[in-house]
Amino acid sequence: MTGRLRDIAYGILGLGILFAVAEAVPRLGLISRDFLPPADEILHTLLRDLAGRELWTALGETMRAWAIGLAIAFVLALALGVLIDAIPGARAATTSTVEFLRPIPSVALIPLATLLYGADLGSSLLLIVYASFWQVLIQVLYGVADVDPVARETARSYRLGRWTILRRLVWPTALPYVMTGLRLAAAVAFILAVTAELVIGSPGLGLQIQLAQSGGAVAEVYALIAVAGLTGVAVNLAVRQLERRLLAWHPSVRGENPR
Amino acid sequence: MLEITGLRKVYEGRGRNVEALRAIDLKVDEGELVCVVGPSGCGKTTLLKCVAGLLTPTAGQVRLAGRAVSGPPPGMAVVFQEYGRSLFPWMTVRQNVELPLREKGVPRPRREELVTGALQAVSLSDAGSAHPWQLSGGMQQRVAIARAVAYEPQVLLMDEPFAAVDAQTRADLEDLLLGLWRRLRITTVLVTHDIDEAVYLAQRVIVLSGSPTVVQEELRIDLPDDRDQIVTRSLPRFAELRTHVYGHIRAAKT
Amino acid sequence: MIRRMTGLPLRLVRLLALPVALVLGWWGYSVLSPSFYVPSPTRIATAFADVWFTRRILDDVLPSLGRLLAGYALAALLGIALGVAIGSYRRLRLTAEPVLEFFRAVPPPVLVPLIMLVAGLNDTMKVLVIVSGAIWPVLLNTVEGVRALDEVLADTARAYGLRGPSRLWHLVLPAASPQIMAGLRQALSIGIILMVIGEMFASTSGLGYTVVLFQRGFQIPEMWSGIVLLGLLGFLLSLAFRAVERRVLYWHQRETHA
Repeated sequence: MTGRLRDIAYGILGLGILFAVAEAVPRLGLISRDFLPPADEILHTLLRDLAGRELWTALGETMRAWAIGLAIAFVLALALGVLIDAIPGARAATTSTVEFLRPIPSVALIPLATLLYGADLGSSLLLIVYASFWQVLIQVLYGVADVDPVARETARSYRLGRWTILRRLVWPTALPYVMTGLRLAAAVAFILAVTAELVIGSPGLGLQIQLAQSGGAVAEVYALIAVAGLTGVAVNLAVRQLERRLLAWHPSVRGENPR
Repeated sequence: MLEITGLRKVYEGRGRNVEALRAIDLKVDEGELVCVVGPSGCGKTTLLKCVAGLLTPTAGQVRLAGRAVSGPPPGMAVVFQEYGRSLFPWMTVRQNVELPLREKGVPRPRREELVTGALQAVSLSDAGSAHPWQLSGGMQQRVAIARAVAYEPQVLLMDEPFAAVDAQTRADLEDLLLGLWRRLRITTVLVTHDIDEAVYLAQRVIVLSGSPTVVQEELRIDLPDDRDQIVTRSLPRFAELRTHVYGHIRAAKT
Repeated sequence: MIRRMTGLPLRLVRLLALPVALVLGWWGYSVLSPSFYVPSPTRIATAFADVWFTRRILDDVLPSLGRLLAGYALAALLGIALGVAIGSYRRLRLTAEPVLEFFRAVPPPVLVPLIMLVAGLNDTMKVLVIVSGAIWPVLLNTVEGVRALDEVLADTARAYGLRGPSRLWHLVLPAASPQIMAGLRQALSIGIILMVIGEMFASTSGLGYTVVLFQRGFQIPEMWSGIVLLGLLGFLLSLAFRAVERRVLYWHQRETHA
């Protein structure tokens, strides 16, 4: 077996072990079946859900909130980031505000969202946009700061217009950071989408989980958690793919904290 | 002191096997300074790593003071080319030099003595509480050398130690090494691609062939022991030896 | 005038100008068009004093913080220990990786109902909730940090006979610490989120519970004061973390930006 294939085989083995343990432990009575149904029961429930319509509807609602929230946050953060960079002195003036607002846990806004929008899309969007916005903004600010001052001076000495400088110099430099921000924001947006549904009751996957839990359908809860996990993985993979394509030309791959 | 017999190393890749060393036979006496040269890619670093016990040979044996080497033996110190990556950045210079001694179990007073002595020997007595990244490249390599010296090894191995510094610093470091060697008479094996350096430093130069690699020639350097950058390098004998070695390497490349 | 100021006065202006302007703007807006849901800053400030400068600090805030710290510490210890173990052995890492990536992708709050089911409604459950989410970034970052150990450094350590516990303490952990700190930073954010959610969801005390209580009772300024407190908490904890990070990673060289 070639190296790569062997590596993947190990991973599959790991998943297999997880399944086997989840199967054996409840059957052996180590943990009560009320808390952990056997893995095949969970799998069965999962497959049944996937065959039905309800799960897909809920997932669609979650992804809709995710997409809209992410898009709004992305556009706003990009615009604000570019603006802060363009206006002299803006960066220094906004730093304190950004550094103060940024660590505020978005879940603190849950009560407010509940009051303003109730158990609906609006609540989800409030949380998603708030959390994702900061992820993108921070990265955009890193990105525009990374533009080589010498290059900027050169561009200005050639009297290149503001728009040209933005397109030809700032954007390519900032793009890796922007993509990192998008990747982080996408993950956060998904987490918050499900959280909002779970706690507030907006329509979506999270609501389904909460309903299953209050109804005592334990296997269903696990199955839905598995769906959430798989969707999270899919979201991460999708964004990474996008990143790879857009940045195929870029020599380096930026980490999350270039500071 | 060091005996290498029939050393063979084959790297097994995906479907491809690379024979880095075919059969190396080599003896180094106690207190000798030997330089190993060869064409690029001939496996000099592989040889050094096998001797250091960092790589397991496919066949053959390395014996240190009569005992077979099957993993990094105590009594061997290594200085790598990439000084920036071989010093621990979270430790001060002093701590870096001290670490192998602590591992060895040397009691504190003796440790202090050795570290202070070693730093003095490389002219870095003032740099004890600095961190490696605060020092220049040449100074960092000197710290690595100090660390090796403080360890009081039986054998000192050096893998292209001066390749990553500028020419001026290289000359200084070469002389530093010679000075240390003359004082302490540590058995030293130095791998280098710089022929001039090899002839300048060594008592004996080992020339490796191209792939499949064997020992092509052993050359005794009969220059006066008292080496000097200007005087020695302008001796006619120096040029002869140098040309001789270079000729071999050129032939080895074909 | 701004241009002629230098030194400390200028820095203070820069620091406070925008926040002050924003608060004033908010106050102006609340005076001009009062909204039930968004009270004026002064109203919130008085509510803040009334609500939090009382026994509440002892009854709700400190216990919440205590649980957060307990959960965080546990997540950190477990995460680093497991991370070092998994990161050190290639085959183990390859086997565990998909499983870990899956668990990390599950939105942490989703596990709250589950843990509630298993552990009941008590302090243990709340701490478990925090651990269940905070452990993943620590674990995965530690694995990555240990895996990426510089080859030359590792060879040097091997050549000088560095083994076992001293290898772990002097080589592996310091070398991985930048990555580990990054993981700990993410874990802190997640920990705070889970602390709040755990209490909003199923609790009769604590910071999160209190804020939800106000919301359900339509005590709007009080609710806002709770939000502000949570914000302050997040801010102060992140400052504290950064101070610790600076201390631990004093030796780490990073690129600086203009």
